[in-house]
Amino acid sequence: MVESLFEDIFRVEKLNPDDKKLFEKVNRIEARSERFDMFMHLDINSELYPLKEGQKFFLKVVSTLNPDGTPDTGYYNPGNRQSLADTFEYVMYGKLYRVTESTGREKAELLISFGGLLMMMKGDHSHFNKFELDQRLYLLIRKV
Amino acid sequence: MNRPKSDGMTFTKEPYIEDTGARKIAGISFSTLSETEIMKIGEVQVWHADYYDAFKKPVPGGLLDSRMGAANKSLSCATCHGLYADCQGHYGYLPLARPVFNVGFLSTIVKILKCICKHCARVLLDEDSRKKSLMKMRNPKLDGLQKMQLLESIMKKYKSVKAIACPRCGYINGSVKHNKSTLSIIHDCDNEVVAELQSALSDVNNYRASSDLTSRVLDPLRVHSLFKKMHVEDCDLLYIEKPEKLIITNIAVPPIVIRPSVIMDGVSNENDITVKLKEIIKVNACLGQESGESSKFQENWLMLQFHVAQYINSDVKGGSIYNQPSKPLTGFIQRIKGKQGRFRSNLSGKRAEYTGRTVISPDPNLKITEVAIPIHMARILTYPERVTHHNIEKLRQCMRNGPDKYPGARLLKKSGGTSWNLKLSSRKRLADELKFGDIVDRHLEDGDIVLFNRQPSLHRMSMMSHRARIMPWRTLRFNESVCNPYNADFDGDEMNLHVPQTEEARTEALLLMTVQNNLCTPKNGEILVASTQDFLTSSFLITRKDTFYDRSAFSLICSYMGDGMDLIDLPTPAIIKPVELWSGKQLFSILLRPHANVRVYVNLTVKEKIYNAKKRDDRNRELKTMCLNDGFVYFRNSELISGQIGKVTLGNGNKDGLFSVLLRDYKSDAAASCMNRLAKLSARWIGNHGFSIGIEDVQPKVILIHRKNETIDKGYDVCDRFIEDFHKGKLKLAAGCDAAQTLESSIFGTLNNLRDATAQVCMQTLHWRNSPLIMSQCGSKGSPSNICQMVACVGQQSVGGCRAANGFLDRSLPHFPKRAQTPAAKGFVRNSFYSGLSATEFFFHTMAGREGLVDTAVKTADTGYMSRRLMKALEDLFLHYDYTVRDTNGSIVQFCYGDDGMDPAGMEGENGKPLNFDRLFLRSKAICPPDGDHVILSSSDVRRVLQEKLSEVGMSNSVEKDASDIMSEVGFSADFIQSLQSFVEKNTLTEIITEGDSTNLKNLSNFIPKISGISRRQLEVFLDICLSRYRFKKIEAGTPIGAIGAHSIGEPGTQMTLKTFHFAGVASMNVTLGVPRIIEIINGAPNIKTPIITAILERDDNANIAKVVKGRIEKTNLGQVAKSIQVVYTSRSAAILISLDMKIIEDAHLNIDANTVKQSILQSGLKLKSENIKVLDMKKLQVDPRVASRSEILFQLNNLKNLLPLVVVKGVKTVERAVLEIKKEKKPETYNLLVEGKGLKEVMGIEGVNGHRTVSNHIIEMMNILGIEAARYCIIEQIQYTMKSHGMSIDVRHIMLLADMMTVRGQVLGMTRHGIQKMGRSSLMLASFESSTDYLFDAALRGKGDPIDGVSDCIIMGKPIHIGTGMIEVQQRLEPSVLPRGANPILSGV
Repeated sequence: MVESLFEDIFRVEKLNPDDKKLFEKVNRIEARSERFDMFMHLDINSELYPLKEGQKFFLKVVSTLNPDGTPDTGYYNPGNRQSLADTFEYVMYGKLYRVTESTGREKAELLISFGGLLMMMKGDHSHFNKFELDQRLYLLIRKV
Repeated sequence: MNRPKSDGMTFTKEPYIEDTGARKIAGISFSTLSETEIMKIGEVQVWHADYYDAFKKPVPGGLLDSRMGAANKSLSCATCHGLYADCQGHYGYLPLARPVFNVGFLSTIVKILKCICKHCARVLLDEDSRKKSLMKMRNPKLDGLQKMQLLESIMKKYKSVKAIACPRCGYINGSVKHNKSTLSIIHDCDNEVVAELQSALSDVNNYRASSDLTSRVLDPLRVHSLFKKMHVEDCDLLYIEKPEKLIITNIAVPPIVIRPSVIMDGVSNENDITVKLKEIIKVNACLGQESGESSKFQENWLMLQFHVAQYINSDVKGGSIYNQPSKPLTGFIQRIKGKQGRFRSNLSGKRAEYTGRTVISPDPNLKITEVAIPIHMARILTYPERVTHHNIEKLRQCMRNGPDKYPGARLLKKSGGTSWNLKLSSRKRLADELKFGDIVDRHLEDGDIVLFNRQPSLHRMSMMSHRARIMPWRTLRFNESVCNPYNADFDGDEMNLHVPQTEEARTEALLLMTVQNNLCTPKNGEILVASTQDFLTSSFLITRKDTFYDRSAFSLICSYMGDGMDLIDLPTPAIIKPVELWSGKQLFSILLRPHANVRVYVNLTVKEKIYNAKKRDDRNRELKTMCLNDGFVYFRNSELISGQIGKVTLGNGNKDGLFSVLLRDYKSDAAASCMNRLAKLSARWIGNHGFSIGIEDVQPKVILIHRKNETIDKGYDVCDRFIEDFHKGKLKLAAGCDAAQTLESSIFGTLNNLRDATAQVCMQTLHWRNSPLIMSQCGSKGSPSNICQMVACVGQQSVGGCRAANGFLDRSLPHFPKRAQTPAAKGFVRNSFYSGLSATEFFFHTMAGREGLVDTAVKTADTGYMSRRLMKALEDLFLHYDYTVRDTNGSIVQFCYGDDGMDPAGMEGENGKPLNFDRLFLRSKAICPPDGDHVILSSSDVRRVLQEKLSEVGMSNSVEKDASDIMSEVGFSADFIQSLQSFVEKNTLTEIITEGDSTNLKNLSNFIPKISGISRRQLEVFLDICLSRYRFKKIEAGTPIGAIGAHSIGEPGTQMTLKTFHFAGVASMNVTLGVPRIIEIINGAPNIKTPIITAILERDDNANIAKVVKGRIEKTNLGQVAKSIQVVYTSRSAAILISLDMKIIEDAHLNIDANTVKQSILQSGLKLKSENIKVLDMKKLQVDPRVASRSEILFQLNNLKNLLPLVVVKGVKTVERAVLEIKKEKKPETYNLLVEGKGLKEVMGIEGVNGHRTVSNHIIEMMNILGIEAARYCIIEQIQYTMKSHGMSIDVRHIMLLADMMTVRGQVLGMTRHGIQKMGRSSLMLASFESSTDYLFDAALRGKGDPIDGVSDCIIMGKPIHIGTGMIEVQQRLEPSVLPRGANPILSGV
C-alpha cells in the first residue's frame, strides 16, 4: 500500500483572493482543512474541474501513483495499468520547491508547483515531516 | 624603384644586392628641404609653361616632361623607363627668380622675426637670459611639448613689443606685423627715434618716399638673408633647425603620377597642381626678365608670392582682385585636410575588396551566429582555399562549375605564381590538373567566416563575425536576436559584409569577433544579444498560467524548437486526470533541458514587469512566487516553477536574466543554443497562434471614457485652483521660484501626472487578450503611456521641457483668450489618437513632434563628433601584462586597470561588482541537493570552512580591513574577499529557531534543514564557484581598453533622449544634462552652463541655521539693505547719504554695518578713495563724489546714486543664488545648500559651511581649488550622475580611464584638439585627427621624428598594431652561422 504524505478534507472558502478572475481557465482557491486545520492556496484548472465556494473535497498527496508503492521512475509512461489515480477525479503532478516557516510558532509553509499551477499549504510543521525539498509529488482530489 | 634597363649602364659583373626581405617602416622624420636638396632630388629643371608640343609629345622641360614619369598610358618614363603603371614618378625642380614666403610657415616666420634683431639677426634677449634659456632649451630631458612651452614663454615677451633696442648692435626694432591681404610682413618702426629722424628728413625736400621709413616691408629676400645670418645657438633657442628653409627659393615639382592628367574626348585636362605650377612658371619667367627696381617687378614678385601661396593653400585670399579664378583650385593643404582629405579618407581608412552590401531582413530559423548570404553575392565573393588531400574533389567540382554556377570558383593560382581566370580558360583541363598546394578562389560556401557590419559602427559589437549560409533570394538575413548589437531594424536598413582572405584572419575573427563571444557588452556586462519583440510576446503567451496543451499539441510545439530532430523527454503532464494536459511552463523547462543527458541546471529568480511588489502576505513578506499576476519568475534546476516570462527574463539589458545566467554558468554555447531554440519555437508558435492588432484594440470601453473624464476633470480643477490662487496672490511659492514659475511648474506637474493616472486606469480596463496590452506587459513593444495615448488621452505636449510657449501676443494660439493658463490653452491634449485631435491640439502635437525630430538630427552630429574625439584620445591605451595601462610612449595612465583589474564585460553584480552572491548562493543550494546525512553547519563551522577555503587560495589571514587594494600574489581584491565574508556570515545564520519546545525538539531538528541552513558541501561548492569564477573575470593583457572605454561612453550618448534639463534636488534649479553636459565634461570646458556648488552645512539639521548660511552666501546688494540712498545738497557740499535698515539686516542675520559697507564700496571698483566715504555712525555713511571740477559734480552724484545700490555688501559675488535643499529620506530631515554659480573657494570659507565636504560640479574650478585628484573624482562623479539620470549604466572602470587620461598630465586636458595635442602624441596621429596641415607644418619645422608605434600611425603606415594579438612577437634564437673558410690566400701573413 502506498504511503500518503498528507491527506485531509478541505473546504473551499474563497475563489480568487482579490475577487478578480485574472486567468480564464485557472482559479486560485483558498481552502481550509477540517482535520489538521491547514490553510491552502491552490491553482486549479476551472475548466476541467470547477470548484465552487463552500464545496468540500478530499485531498491526498503521494509520491507515486503505483498502488504497490514502488517509487516513481521520473519518466512518464502511461498505460492502462492500475493506478492510485483511478479513484480520484483530479490529479496533478508537480515538485516541492520551497519549505519555509510561517506565522506563529511551529507553523510552516509548503510551496509546490504543478507545472506553474501553484499550491501553498500552511500549517503545523509536524504534518510536513515526510516532505523533502525537490520531491516529485502527485496531488489527488475528489469531491466529497 | 625600377631598375634602369640594361641599355643604361652595363656592368661587367652583376652587382650584388643583398635581399633583406620585406622592409618595415621603423619611423618617419619630417623636415624641410633646402634649395640644393630640392635640386638634388629633381631629375629635371622645369621652366617651360607648355604641356605638349605640336606632336602631342610632352615638351622637354615642361610640366609633363617624361623624365618626371609617364604622362599617359601610351608613354613611358624617361628616367626609369617604367610604363605608366610601373613608374612611381620622379621630381623636377623649379628655381624661383626671387624667394617667396611659404604660406604655411608665414605665422612662424613672423614669430621668429619678432624675436630677432632685424639688423644683426641675433636674438633680442640680453646675454644672461639668452644663455639661461639656451641651457634650458638644450636640456636633453625635455620632450617636444615642454620645449614648445618654453618657446612660448620666450616668445611671449616679444609678442606686442613696440620698440626694443638690440642688446648687441643697438638697432631699434619695431613691431612686426603680418599683412594678410598681401602676404607680406611689415616692420613698423614707429618710435621716437625714427620719428625724430623723419622730422629731420621732412625738411629735405627731395626725399621721395614719405612713409617708407616708419613702416618698412620686410620682403622675402631680406628675411631670407636675415635667417641665413642667424646664429646656431639662436636657432636652438628658438627650437628651429634651419630658418632659411622657411622661405621658398626652389619649388620641388611633384611627379606626374600625383597630378595625373585626365583625358576626356581626346582633350587632356590637367590637374589643379599642374595648372597652378604653370602660372607660377609664367610669373617667374616675367620676374626674371624685369629689373629689380621697377614697380612692375614688385608687382610680379607679389604675384609670384600669391601664386606660390595658392599652390600650397588655395584658400589664401589676396593678390589682385581681377585675377581670381572662378573655381578655386585645390592646393596641397586642401588635398590633405578634412574628412575627404588624404588622412581621413585614404590613409586612416581604405577601400576594401571582397565586400558586399544589401538590404537586411529577419530569419528566426537561422542560428544567431549565422548570416544568410544571397547566392548572387556568394558568386562574387570568394575565398582563396589551398588545395589539400581533403578538399581536392570539392575544389575540382568548383572549378568545373566556373564563376557563374553556384558552388564554383573564379581564379586558380598555381603554386608557381601563375594564375588563371576560370571564366576564360578551359576549366575542365585545369580542374583535372589541379595539384595539392594550388590555391583556388572559390565561391563562398556554408560555414565560411564573414564579418558583418552596420553603420554607424559605434561599438565593437557593430562588427561581428558570422558563419555564412548561402541562401536564395536577395537579402542578407540573420536572427532577430542579433538586432540589438547592430541596432538594426528591417525598415530598409542595409548592412555590409566582408570576407577575410587568410586563415589567420579567419581564426582571429572566429576567436575574437564571433557573435557567441560578444553576447555581452563591455559597457557594463549586460547581455546584448537577446530575444526581442515577437519572441518575447510568444514566450509571454506560452507561459501564461492558463495555457494548456494536450498530448498532440504539446509534442508538436516541442518539435518546433529543434526542427523535430532533437531528443526530448516528454515530462509527466501537470494535470494527469481528468485529461492529460501539459502546461506552457513545462514547454520552457524542455526548452532549457530537452532530455536528461543535458546537464544544464538553471537557477534564477526574476521579477517581471507585471510582478506586484506591493501585495504582502500576513507576515508582510512579498508574495514572490505566489504573486497573483504570476510575475515572479523562478527557475529551479531548469524547471520553470512560476512566473510569466517577459522581457526582464529574456531581453537585453539585464544581468540576471535567463541568457545571462546561462552565459555565466554554462558558457556562451549554452546561451546561444537556447536562443536558437527559443527563436524557432517562438516564430513558429506565434505563426500558428496569430498575433495582430485591430481597431477594437484601441476602442475605449464606456467605463474607461467615464473614468478618464473624471480623472481629467479633477486635474483641470486642481489647475484652475492654482490659477485662482495665483491671481489672488495666495499661491505658496516653491523654493527659489517666483509666483509665475511656481504656477507653471505646479500646473505642468499636475498635467504630466494626469496622463500617468489615465494610463493606469486605461491598463486596468483593457481585456487581457488586448494585443497592445500584452506587448506592453511582456516588454516587447510599447509602454502604458503609449497605449493610453491611443485609447484614452494623448496628454500634455511639451516643447523644451515647458508647456507650449506663447507664439502670439500673450497666448499660444489666437483660439484662446489672452493670458490664458488653462491646460487646453497651453497644449494639453485631452483626446486620444482614436477619438481624434482637435485643430489646436493637433497644432500643439506637431510642435512637440518637431522638437523631437530636430533634437535627433542635431544630436547625431554632436555625439558622432564626441565619439570620434574620445576614440582619438583613448585609442592608444591598452593593458600590459603587469596590469598597468599605458599609452604608446609607455607612460603609465593607470597602475591597475579600474583599481582591480577586472574585465567590465564579465561583471555579474550590480554597480560593476564581479559576482552576484545571492544568485550563486541560490544556485549552489539548488544544484547540491541535501542528501541523507544532511548536517547543518553551525556558524562557527561556517567560519572555519570559509577560512579553509580562503587559505587554499592563499588568502589565509590577510583579510583585515586595512589590507591594501590588491593582493598581488593571489589576485583577489580585498574588497571582494570582504564582501564574500560578510555575505557568507549574513546568509548562513542558523540560529533562528535554535531552542524549540523540548517536546517538539526532535521534530524540529528534522525540519529545520528543510527551511534554512547550509550543509558543508553546499558551502564548499558556493565558495569554490565564487573564488574560481573571480579569477576568470580578470581582464586579459593586451585588451584595448582605451578603445572599449571610448565606445562605452560614446555609444550611450546616441541614445540619450532630449531630456536636457533636470531638477537638481529642488525645482527651479536646473542642471544641464544629456549630450551637452557630457560634452562639457569631456571638453574640460572652463565655462559651463550650470555650475552648482553643493555646500554641506556644519549643522545640517536646523533649517534656521541653514537659512542664515544661505544669507551669507547669497550676494546682498546695498540697495537691499539700505533704508535710503539719497543725494543731499547743502550750501557747502553735495554728497550721498546712505542709511542702513538694521532691522532687515538683523532679520537676515547678516553681519553688516556702516564700516563693512565702506569696505565693500571701496572694493567695488567705483574708483572712490577712503577719504571720500565717511562713516557717520553704525548705520549711516556719507559718500562724497570725487571732486574733479564743479561742472561734473552733478553727473558724478547721479552716477553714484545709480551705482551704489548695486554694490555687493555681503556674500559671494560670483554666486547667482543659493537654494535650500531638504533631504527627507533620513529622519530628522537634513538640509544642504545648492549654490548656483562659481566661487567654490569663497563658499567653502563661509562660516557654517563644512568646507571638507563641499564640492562643485565645475571640473576646472575643482582642479584650481582642490587639486587634480579632486578634478579626477569630479569627472567620474559627474559623468556617472549624468548617465544615471538618463537611466544608463556604464561600468565605472571606463569612466575612470577617461578621467585618468584627462588628468594624468597634472592638469585637466579636454578631449579636444588642444587637449589631445598635450597628451604627447605623434604628429601623424594628430594630423589624422584635426587640422592636419598645421601639425605637419609644425613637425617639418621642428624636424620631428615619429616612431611608428601608435594605433593611428600604424594604420597609416600599414603596419600591424601593437595591441591585442599584435602585442606579442615571436623571436627565434639562431645559432651564429659558421662562415666557410675559403682557400688560403696566396699572400698571407704579413
